[in-house]
Amino acid sequence: MKTAIDVIEALLLVAMAPLIRGVIACVKARIQNRRGASVFRPYADLLKLFRKQDLVPDTASWLFRLAPVVLFAVTVAAAALVPVLHPSALLGVSGDFIVLVYLLTVGRFFVMLGAMDGGSSFGGMGASREALVSTLAEAPLLLGLTSVAVLAHSISLSAIVEFSVLRNPFQLSAVHVFAFVALAMVAIAETGRIPVDNPTTHLELTMIHEAMVLEYSGASLALIEWAQAVKLTVIMALLVGVFAPWGMATSASLLGLAVALPAFLIKLVILAIAIAAIESSIAKLRMYLVPDFLGVAAALAILAVVFTALTR
Amino acid sequence: MIQTAFNLFLVALLFLPAVALLCRRNHIARALPSLLLLISLLIGTLLAGFSFWRGYRLDVNLSQLTPFSFALAVDRLSAFFLLIICGVGAPVVLFSTSYVRRHYSATKVNWMWALLPLFLLSMVLVVTATTAFAFLLGWELMTLFSAGLVLIDGDSEHRRHNIFIYLMMMHAGAATVIASFFLFLPHATSLDFQSMRAVGAALPSGVRTAIFLLSFVGFGTKAGLIPFHLWLPKAHPIAPSPVSALMSAVMLKTAIYGFVRFTFDFLGGGPAWWGYLVLLAGAATGLLGILYALEENDVKVLLAYSSVENIGIIYLGLGAALVFMANGALAWAALALAAALLHALNHSLFKSILFLGAGAVSDAAHTLDLEQMGGLLNRMQVTGTAVLIACCSIIGLPLFNGFVGEWLMFRSFLAGAELSSISAAVLLPLMAGVLALIGGLSVSCFAKLYGVAFLGRARSQEAGDAREVAMPMQVAMTLLAAACVAIGVLPGFVLRPLTAVTQELLRGPALPETGLSVLRTLPLLAAGVVALLLTAAALRLRSSKRITRTWACGLPELDSRMQYTSTAFSKPLRKVFARVYKPERSVEVVCANPPYFPESITYRSVRTTSFEKSLYRPVVDTVVAMATRLRRLQTGNVQIYLLYIFLALVALLVFMRFA
Repeated sequence: MKTAIDVIEALLLVAMAPLIRGVIACVKARIQNRRGASVFRPYADLLKLFRKQDLVPDTASWLFRLAPVVLFAVTVAAAALVPVLHPSALLGVSGDFIVLVYLLTVGRFFVMLGAMDGGSSFGGMGASREALVSTLAEAPLLLGLTSVAVLAHSISLSAIVEFSVLRNPFQLSAVHVFAFVALAMVAIAETGRIPVDNPTTHLELTMIHEAMVLEYSGASLALIEWAQAVKLTVIMALLVGVFAPWGMATSASLLGLAVALPAFLIKLVILAIAIAAIESSIAKLRMYLVPDFLGVAAALAILAVVFTALTR
Repeated sequence: MIQTAFNLFLVALLFLPAVALLCRRNHIARALPSLLLLISLLIGTLLAGFSFWRGYRLDVNLSQLTPFSFALAVDRLSAFFLLIICGVGAPVVLFSTSYVRRHYSATKVNWMWALLPLFLLSMVLVVTATTAFAFLLGWELMTLFSAGLVLIDGDSEHRRHNIFIYLMMMHAGAATVIASFFLFLPHATSLDFQSMRAVGAALPSGVRTAIFLLSFVGFGTKAGLIPFHLWLPKAHPIAPSPVSALMSAVMLKTAIYGFVRFTFDFLGGGPAWWGYLVLLAGAATGLLGILYALEENDVKVLLAYSSVENIGIIYLGLGAALVFMANGALAWAALALAAALLHALNHSLFKSILFLGAGAVSDAAHTLDLEQMGGLLNRMQVTGTAVLIACCSIIGLPLFNGFVGEWLMFRSFLAGAELSSISAAVLLPLMAGVLALIGGLSVSCFAKLYGVAFLGRARSQEAGDAREVAMPMQVAMTLLAAACVAIGVLPGFVLRPLTAVTQELLRGPALPETGLSVLRTLPLLAAGVVALLLTAAALRLRSSKRITRTWACGLPELDSRMQYTSTAFSKPLRKVFARVYKPERSVEVVCANPPYFPESITYRSVRTTSFEKSLYRPVVDTVVAMATRLRRLQTGNVQIYLLYIFLALVALLVFMRFA
């Protein structure tokens, strides 16, 4: 029973990921006074890509075709680590945030390699920029999660989420505030959103992620796009679970889950609207300002960790 | 029986050089030394494994035959390091069997097979010695034999200079190690490990501190801790690739062994500041090591700096263990120590693949310069795959062995937050951030290494014509890569006995089970990821695949010069960390008709490590200046020398009268 719920939760994250993208795009269109495409548009895009031919550069090795598969597999595996409707996850019994962070790294590493396998400047440029962003994002991400893990006396994500669920919103400490801001900033960098990267750009000067996947097409591109959407949803679910889990069922009862599902969806939509609002209101940073952006995140994460020791 | 096998193993290593010299004339017998060495290393691996997993103790005492007491013993800690030496040594020797013959003349091959067993034997001596004499004998011989092996690759002026620096620093390090042994003397009855262990905890605190600091510097020099790392990126890259592999993957670990023996076994830990010092050194070494590696374009120099980084990671674990010990949390100290030791094993596995891979690439593409490589994976499938696995391991991706060690380290840093001491509770969790930053940088570094060398299009004719290397080389790298994956998915078979070893060493209570939860996660995760990989591949089955040309913005053809280079790849991070690199740049523009139409533009960017410039140079200058001044004593005049003798005699008599 419990395992079944955990499986459904993971599948839910994977299945609804394109929808979240659709919602963000739709809200952005509305803010810009356009009607925008349907929120289900990303599904149609994926379906279209899955049917298209997969073009492979003549210089590429088998790694080029392997990279999207690895990215998809590890991102979905990461989805199985994050508690969604109740403080437990498929791999959550023994899984922890370190595994989560490093699983996301696997995907990134392979996409970077796949990008360089194309043999053009774009791939290398994208990989090099991605290396810059991800290198500097890793420390604040881990430190931010470390601070909440220290509070919860456990490194398991389920236990961290449970720690927050069992407290009322006003009991959360300064540590949570710092950690939340740090992680939200890192989340923007990790998922390649404005102001760090623009997911809809096709200008050489500004592309990061798009430059990396430029050579991909067809089903491989579909896997990458889907995985990217899942990654965004996983990180959003993580933020929701760690910092605003209220509404989540404390045990796996049917009634509790019936309440938890709409609560979770509403929270995700609110986050999506927030992302759309941010993306519509500020410009993308110059690439060499990104380290400063992530430096602020790192400083906040360090403060969060220091506060865990000082406030106990 | 096992004892006999061990004696036989030692004797075999000792007499193999003679076999090599005897067999040099005969064509068929020429393969004998390598074969015998391989067999003895396999026996060594079995023995070490038996001793490590079963806790079987081996003893050899030769004190009757030698002027100083000379005894060897294999306890479980020694067995672990013996396992590293033999387990990594065997594939490296297998690789060498075809590598050296293709690269060196017959004489040099003979030298190689004569020195290699001795080098291995000296390392075995170091990790099994139970008397100071045996340990120091092995320690010094290890330096000399490795220097001899480095010389096989050639002895140009530049190489000799580098070897000189290597020997210089090693002897300075050895001097401090010897000093730290002798500090035990008035208190311990003799310099065997038993009596040193017995008095270690009871020594006056000043002596303990002195021993700790001396051994920290001495072993740190061998391990390549920053700022004592200067020799490492100079000596490792110029050795023959299999020797570089042994030096980086195995020899550095003997220094870790020595430090663990002294600090944890003999002294039994110390005040918390020892731990902080080690943590700090580890953090600085890890960060600077990987930053220097990131900007290198020569594969072997890059790998050498990456060894510096990994030594830093190991010291982070050792430092955490010391901090836990000082705070009385012995169970967590055992976990942190196990993390450090496991990372030592892991590093020896993946770094040997990487150095052997560098050897294979130089064999196939005749270059070690990243900017001349490219597209090698298509031409060298096995080497490319093994190196990919090694890259995944070294950056700590889950399901590869590097992750297990780093996970354990993260776990122990997080446990540090539970300590009552505020400084430990703040500092240890922050070290998780340092480790994450090191990890992030190494992802970039190895994405660059692999992407530029093995992917994309060939950047030179030689790289384009590269062919897969000979079978023994492939087998050697595959075996090591298989070990990386095995430990990555099922770490329990190494980790369980290893935690038992560290608990025994620290005499601590059993580990909390949450400290090892990764043991349960990894097999599950492996199953899940494999299932998902198949699913994702199945999702793509319906779309057909077509080979086309890379998109070239409408240009007719891309050439290899349009690819991103290694230098370009690391540029953004170099810019962000410009303060660390402090490059000296110069642009020379020769203009016929200024300011337009330059005839030539020359750009140079040189980075001498700031340590060389600001730390070593002044020391060397001072020593040379003092030596120059002292030279005035040497006038060449016999009368003056007689005066010296007379004055010395008088001074001694006066001293004896009043002393």
